[in-house]
Amino acid sequence: MSEFILELKGITKTFPGVKALDDVYFKLKPGEIHALMGENGAGKSTFIKVITGVHAPDEGDMYLDGQKVSFRNPKDAQKAGIAAIYQHVTCYPDLTVTENIFMGHEKIAKGTKRLLWREMHEEAGKLLKELGASFSPKTLMGALSVAEQQIVEIAKALSVNARIIIMDEPTAALTNNESEELYRIAEKLRDQGASIIFISHRFEDMYRLASKVTVFRDSKYIGTWGVNEISNADLIVAMVGREITQLFPKKEAQIGEELLRVEGLGKTGYFADVSFTLRKGEILGLTGLVGAGRTEVCQAIFGVERPDKGKIFYKGRELAAKSPLHAMKQGIGYLPEDRQKQGLVLSWEIGRNITLSSLEKMSRRGHLNTRKEQDLAKRLAEKVSVKAKSVFDLASSLSGGNQQKVVFAKLLTADLDILILDEPTKGVDVGAKSAIYEIISDLACSGYGIILVSSEMPEIIGMCDRVAVMREGRITAFMDREGITQEAILRASMADAAPQQDQQRWA
Amino acid sequence: MEPRLLQNKRDFSVKGFLLQWEWMLVVLFLAMTVMNINLSEYYWNFDNLRDATMSFLDKAFIVLPMVFIIIVGDIDISVGSIVALSSVIMADLYNHGVPMPIAMLICLAVGTLCGYINGLLVVKFKELSAVIVTLSTMIIYRGIAYILLKDQAAGKFPDWFNFLGWEYVGGIPFILIAFVVFAILFWYLLHKTTFGRKVYAMGSNLTASRFSGIQTDRIKIIVFTLTGLMSAVCALFLTSRMGSTRPNIANGYELDVIAMVVLGGISTSGGKGRMIGAILAIFLIGYLRYGLGLVNVSAQTLLIIIGLLLIVAVSIPKLKLGKKR
Amino acid sequence: MSMNNKGGSPAPTATNAAATAGASGAPGPAGRPTATPAPAAAPKASLSANIAKFRELGLLAFIVILAIGVQLRNPSFLTWENLNDIATNTAILSILAVGMMLVIITRGIDLSIGATLALAGMSAALTVKEYPGLSPLVAVLLGVGIGIVCGAVLGFLVAKINILPIIATLGMMNVFRGLTYELSGGKWVSAHQMPDSFKAIATGKVLGLNNLIVIAVVIYIVAYYFVNHTRTGRQIYAVGSNPDSAEVSGIKSGRILWLVYTIMGGLAGLAGVLWVAKFASAQGDTASGYELSVIAACVLGGVSIAGGSGKISGIILGSVLLGILNNALPMINVSPFWQNFIQGMIILIAVLINAVVKRGIDRNNLMRRRI
Repeated sequence: MSEFILELKGITKTFPGVKALDDVYFKLKPGEIHALMGENGAGKSTFIKVITGVHAPDEGDMYLDGQKVSFRNPKDAQKAGIAAIYQHVTCYPDLTVTENIFMGHEKIAKGTKRLLWREMHEEAGKLLKELGASFSPKTLMGALSVAEQQIVEIAKALSVNARIIIMDEPTAALTNNESEELYRIAEKLRDQGASIIFISHRFEDMYRLASKVTVFRDSKYIGTWGVNEISNADLIVAMVGREITQLFPKKEAQIGEELLRVEGLGKTGYFADVSFTLRKGEILGLTGLVGAGRTEVCQAIFGVERPDKGKIFYKGRELAAKSPLHAMKQGIGYLPEDRQKQGLVLSWEIGRNITLSSLEKMSRRGHLNTRKEQDLAKRLAEKVSVKAKSVFDLASSLSGGNQQKVVFAKLLTADLDILILDEPTKGVDVGAKSAIYEIISDLACSGYGIILVSSEMPEIIGMCDRVAVMREGRITAFMDREGITQEAILRASMADAAPQQDQQRWA
Repeated sequence: MEPRLLQNKRDFSVKGFLLQWEWMLVVLFLAMTVMNINLSEYYWNFDNLRDATMSFLDKAFIVLPMVFIIIVGDIDISVGSIVALSSVIMADLYNHGVPMPIAMLICLAVGTLCGYINGLLVVKFKELSAVIVTLSTMIIYRGIAYILLKDQAAGKFPDWFNFLGWEYVGGIPFILIAFVVFAILFWYLLHKTTFGRKVYAMGSNLTASRFSGIQTDRIKIIVFTLTGLMSAVCALFLTSRMGSTRPNIANGYELDVIAMVVLGGISTSGGKGRMIGAILAIFLIGYLRYGLGLVNVSAQTLLIIIGLLLIVAVSIPKLKLGKKR
Repeated sequence: MSMNNKGGSPAPTATNAAATAGASGAPGPAGRPTATPAPAAAPKASLSANIAKFRELGLLAFIVILAIGVQLRNPSFLTWENLNDIATNTAILSILAVGMMLVIITRGIDLSIGATLALAGMSAALTVKEYPGLSPLVAVLLGVGIGIVCGAVLGFLVAKINILPIIATLGMMNVFRGLTYELSGGKWVSAHQMPDSFKAIATGKVLGLNNLIVIAVVIYIVAYYFVNHTRTGRQIYAVGSNPDSAEVSGIKSGRILWLVYTIMGGLAGLAGVLWVAKFASAQGDTASGYELSVIAACVLGGVSIAGGSGKISGIILGSVLLGILNNALPMINVSPFWQNFIQGMIILIAVLINAVVKRGIDRNNLMRRRI
């Protein structure tokens, strides 16, 4: 018997063009909650997929109870007692909680193969009760909140008697109360002997729960410490690995007149009382947890969804964008959160992607001038230094960072004053990241007003002139450049404090 | 930022050029021609071919806009019913004393309106698919035709109305001239204008198109409305050829039209395909029918052949993809 | 307690509603594209949420009101003979609706069943015409067998080659229809060419009930058990509810799709024999366009076009309503030429109501977020 229930040694995993894991180590003791931390793209998710048998590692060994194992598929891992609860709940909204829990390992009668509903409902009810949930196992999954669905996922892990439970950013979309509930459940599971790998980039989660912490950075293993052995500052250095200022080439831009003023914007169920201003040359950060309503606010300004309440003033005139086209005609551009689904036509050439939002400029009475189009596309692709052979390369052939540059180039085709950038560096490798920061900084210097939506603290701290923090659809704090600290942002995005009353002071 | 220069020229690959679907259609077309010539001595005859062309071109008018609908990622199975409804209304109005030219205009208006309603429903109720929307309007439109005309035929149109379907201009069938004009218009619209580019974008990635400032709803409505209009154009020619109309006219046209579009290399998952392919497919299926008809292959057998052709046409690209993986 | 009762409608209890409302968290907008929230009976449930809850009651009420209305106009409506007629007609419709429901639950559609029905019916009719001494059971089995083959071909195209169901079934519809004509040489098989034993399939009785009704009821029971109490049955719902998760859960989606179209084909084959026996005639255009009635019955019965939900009880009610309409309209002097139009409007209005109700439910859920 080994001291460790799970041990991984020298795991390496390469995807076409990317080394997702590079010689990574991990050790998990029985009855331990072990935090795995790192920035986005550090390799945490790939690592989980290796443990759960979704990906086979290229190199390295995995030991379970000291025995060497290799999983060919998720079923193998499940049989070995490993269960994962993913960041985005994958469920069957039309089916009941019981079915969601037992999907794939239903209880069936011997002989007749009949499903034993009563037994399953009973056991599901028991599991839910253990987890402190108050909803019935006969509820439809789709009727539950995200937090409740997560509890169902945990129940699912328990129903297969998992000894090792992996929670991948489970608190990302939860409120403070809900997170507290989750902590309680995790501790209970630990006390019952389960081992938990808890993935998060929130320090609060780690301090509250874990006894050990392992840090990955840029696909590499950095180290493992006892939570009490390492200071906050050292942990940040371990995660970020560099002085924040080095990464962010923020140039001081001339901040000019007011471009945008948002007053009391609200949309039922998504956000309320959102007010802020944006000036020429300014980078305004918009941060908070995933699901705090940041994207929805941006899309309301950009005319994707109509807000129910409030007013938007653009250069002093009231503006209610009816559609993205309308917003773009006024001078507001939006770089969407999900570049593959919302930003690009992946099956298209780079050039066509760049010109998609400004076709009218390259046409006369509807007739498209392809010569003019190609010239413009080439010029802009070079301006943001897209790494490709020509503008005729397919967008799908580019790396994440270069794809994002194409989306930037697309924004530059239109005559805009305001750029709303929604998680512009999500899923982008480190090298391309700093190139994108450089582009953003240059744009601000050339007079654009920029709203930078981001979950990455260093990015917000390094790039923004001012920051607005959102929680549960409301802005809870504004900070200016000197006042921006990691702690302050965390407090504002997490605490169940009342929304800031005197927003006008900042707006 | 250091400027990086991108090449100016597109890579040209001979293999890529030759592997285009349209070449396969050309080869098929030639093979079909050779087969037909061997099957019947009457096939390779200018007058016969010319007259055959006149008999299958009516539905070709619907193929043109259907290319847009399928590229945009939707489908319209109500086109046969739109043909029937606009034709029946035209005949009914004429038989009730409305002058023929006005009845014809109303025919076009009815088709346009039907298409507009389809488009509006598809856009306003995004949770429903175009399949279910046009399935129900397919039944409704033909249902109205039945209500108007019961099970009867209506006709006795003025003699000049025959011109559309039967006459020649300088030895060329008028219907062919009309088709060529429309085909050029639609080809131009799809491949040379911003509208066409937007249609392709929507079919490839609807969300990204919307975020790029394309008015996706408007374009969808236009595309469905155009399909309605062209169905009415088909109704004019078809009614002229038949000399009369019944509520069950153009029954099953949706299948023929969709088969032609799909055979033309337009992908049912949207975003891919070219007008020229669909046009080739129109003539391929048309002459195939004609040739087989000459050797007394029954209409029922043709039904089977067209059905199989549709299945094979959609299967081939999928099989090719499957191998790559 | 079976969970089938919860299939398409919300199933919460009042106590948990309060808890849910209190704990509802921040929305995860991009995270769960397929997760469409259903209501958890909030205290102030909107009208549309209530409609969803009471859909079947409403359908039943509508049927009763319709029956009373028609009866007032024409007293011969509620006679034993006429009711029997409605029931036998509805039997065939609802047998097909059971199969169609499975197909629609997996997000598909099958337009070919009218043609499959005709092909199977014609084959059976031609066989009994040739061999009058044959047991009717053999004819039924033959029909079912042909239907299964047709369905399996479709299933192959949809599941293995990945052709859109609408395209695959549209194409094969013509193939099956063409084959029917080919088989019959364009001729009818009429009543006097069929042996009495064959026609007795549709006129015979078991325990005083018409065979068709008995067969239909047996199929309901089997189908009910299948979709609610077997693993495979539930996997059909899983595949329709979230195809991606289904793959992760180790469900073989391709096999499920194949199975569903094959079942649909088998039922269409069975319905074909019953149809031909009942009307004592087999024609090339038998049941042409009947697939539309079947789809209408499903949509009326609350089967969601978006997949994942639908119940046997719903489609039985949907079929009964359509059956009554088809029977009643001529009785109150509505021209048969209105039938198409009315049926189309029923489908359209039913799907539109479904959509509007769903929106109401979603809006309701948003209100509960307290933002």
